[in-house]
Amino acid sequence: MNELNHITYNEKGEQMVGEGVGFERIRRITGYLVGTLDRFNNAKRAEEHDRVKHDIRYRA
Amino acid sequence: MIQQIEKRDGRCVFFDVTKIANAIYRAAEASGGHDYQMSMRLALDVADYIEAHSPTSTPTVEYVQDAVEKILVEQGHARTAKAYILYRNERSRQREMNTGLMKTYEDLTFKSAIENDIKRENANIDGDTAMGTMLKYGSEGAKQFNEMFLLEPHIAKAHREGDIHIHDFDFYTLTTTCTQIDLLKLFENGFSTGHGFLREPNDIRSYSALACIAIQSNQNDQHGGQSVPNFDYSMAPGVRKTYWHNYRDNLAKALEVFDVEEEGLEPAKALIEACAEKPVLADDNGTSEQIRDRLLQRGVAEETVERIIAFTLKYARRETERSTYQAMEALVHNLNTMHSRAGAQIPFSSLNYGTDTSPEGRLVMKSLLLATEAGLGNGETSIFPIHIFKVKEGVNYNPEDPNYDLFKLSMRVSAKRLFPNFSFLDAPYNAQYYKPGHPETEASYMGCRTRVVGNVYDPSREIVNGRGNLSFTSINLPRIAINSKGDIEAFFEELDKKMDLVVDQLKARFKIQCDKRVRNYPFLMGQGIWLDSDKLGPNDKIGEVLKHGTLTIGFIGLAECLKALMGVHHGESEQAQHMGLTIVGRMRERMDRESRETGLNFSVIATPAEGLSGRFVRLDRQRYGVIEGVTDRDYYTNSFHVPVYYPITAFKKIRLEAPYHELTNGGHISYVELDGDPTQNLDAFEAIVRYMKECGIGYGSINHPVDRDPICGYTGIIEDICPRCGRREGEAVSIERLRQLGVYINHNSDTIGYHGDPNEERDRRPNPMA
Repeated sequence: MNELNHITYNEKGEQMVGEGVGFERIRRITGYLVGTLDRFNNAKRAEEHDRVKHDIRYRA
Repeated sequence: MIQQIEKRDGRCVFFDVTKIANAIYRAAEASGGHDYQMSMRLALDVADYIEAHSPTSTPTVEYVQDAVEKILVEQGHARTAKAYILYRNERSRQREMNTGLMKTYEDLTFKSAIENDIKRENANIDGDTAMGTMLKYGSEGAKQFNEMFLLEPHIAKAHREGDIHIHDFDFYTLTTTCTQIDLLKLFENGFSTGHGFLREPNDIRSYSALACIAIQSNQNDQHGGQSVPNFDYSMAPGVRKTYWHNYRDNLAKALEVFDVEEEGLEPAKALIEACAEKPVLADDNGTSEQIRDRLLQRGVAEETVERIIAFTLKYARRETERSTYQAMEALVHNLNTMHSRAGAQIPFSSLNYGTDTSPEGRLVMKSLLLATEAGLGNGETSIFPIHIFKVKEGVNYNPEDPNYDLFKLSMRVSAKRLFPNFSFLDAPYNAQYYKPGHPETEASYMGCRTRVVGNVYDPSREIVNGRGNLSFTSINLPRIAINSKGDIEAFFEELDKKMDLVVDQLKARFKIQCDKRVRNYPFLMGQGIWLDSDKLGPNDKIGEVLKHGTLTIGFIGLAECLKALMGVHHGESEQAQHMGLTIVGRMRERMDRESRETGLNFSVIATPAEGLSGRFVRLDRQRYGVIEGVTDRDYYTNSFHVPVYYPITAFKKIRLEAPYHELTNGGHISYVELDGDPTQNLDAFEAIVRYMKECGIGYGSINHPVDRDPICGYTGIIEDICPRCGRREGEAVSIERLRQLGVYINHNSDTIGYHGDPNEERDRRPNPMA
């Protein structure tokens, strides 16, 4: 069964799609990209989780 | 009388006293003894002892071995006893490894990738597929074989215990890492994939298709990635040929449409052949003028001639542009779908480009960038190829440069799709090789970061084409720092020892690689991809030509190393930065010395640790416990990077990391993390890329979140709720809502809901090129 097209019905009887479908999150792993975070090994997941954004307002 | 003994697996076998005698004799031999009679006497004593003391009539192997040790010691054979114990320990370690391997196989078989970290060791291999799992069986088995039978014990120990890490260890005896493929040379006169012969391509679509096939074929001969060092120059001839054909065909049509000829094709060919040069995309070589004159001479009315030429030019150009775009679109699709390694992954492909200023090369780059910006079939961001845009002053860096428009476009695409990354040919250590008019002297990068350009073995061939890395091994820097307890001298002494060890190991592996023959690599060597391999026959050894490749030492966790050594990392303190540069500088000096002494290309890489980032720290935490700032996270910081968790401005991070790029001649990358959607702030994006260049970064990129909701097709930043359709992760959304948004076009439930993205398509900006 294709999850993307799996139709369910809500309490109002409306046709719904997307049940159980996650978001794809593409990240750079070591220079190349990886399709989604699920493919990262445990250490790389931890690293990705810890990444902080770098401020670009100051040149300091 | 003892008749049988019980083996470890529970089987009972005949008790044979000569086996005991043989084992004692081997142990005695190891310590210089040669008296078999003595061994037999001792064995009989052992048998007597067991007979008298064994609690059961079928003693276990362990019990028998204990008895042997006891008798040897009691009867004064201390050295033989020691050798026997060592042998016994080694055998039991091997047995444990065998059991371990079977346990690994069990996990590979019965656990999914979500539960099993080994299956996610490399994120681009799908460990859940049949072929992916089969590859892992092979890989885990090979690692064990290599450790038990090939490595010298002290190197095996260093690898096993995590002092060093031998990368791609499963391929230890098999092949080399990666190659920078010269497509033009390959295409000339056609080539064979090993499964069939392909003619020299004749238009851009076949150029791009064959580029994919070349990457795929070579990937199957190596364990690392594949790159094309100058994709723009490589594809330009394809565009040129496509234009010729389109020019000829449209001239033929025009001759018919404007009633000059009944059948246009042959006269069109004749008209073109009579010209001094073939027509070109820029239409600036006088060919159209010559055709115009000839038609006028034949008495065709001037107005008609003008219309024929205008028609020909208009459609020749338009069709060439369309073919080139389609060719690049197909290439991106192919490189994201074609299989290598029995289907477990797609090739690790990297394309370098940016410097070809010919109209044909420029059209290739523009088309490739736009196809990448548009995304795959459903608008997804493509994972491969890795794009590396080569930035060069006088070529594309400044507004007055001929390819500045492409540099701008590359940043726009990168802001949306994370690629291209940027390489900087003006960094002094890259500029030293650069010769104008020789694209093969432009430093290029494997997408992961590997860099191969200098050549100690053959200084007349300091080029990128046909070369690559042979193997690399990383050093656990934090451990050396922990062990030296703040003593800087002790630290460097230990670092030197570890580097000596790694150099020995790299040489041992190189020796194995050198013994291979051309036929072991039907594409890489058989088709002349590797530099000078075209001079070898199928049964020749490849040792000599491999010397064009690099043998490389890497490192991980400079930040944690500095923390352990000085209490601060290089983002926090100038002294630490100074120390960091001294450490990496020391590694570079060691490799330079080795290169001088051996004539081989030893280099230093800022290791692209994926599997390794967790392995070293896990081992160190077991050994030393949790040390704040050192072993307290689940990963060691990548190479020389400032830690990802440390707040720092993008500019300072770039400034601090740039000097390490110069030292790491085997490869490097720096990236910064941007908040928000950079497509909304391209000026800031450009400011960062320019700052990288000004600071002497060799290879850099900018990270930003690229999320996608596969249900409505939104690509951008998604926190908890999709900004377009409003659903949460895992939640359903009504089809009615998707219809209102205009993103549920499909009414046939056989295919997925989302086809194309009208919102995204509306946002696409017109093409910026003149």
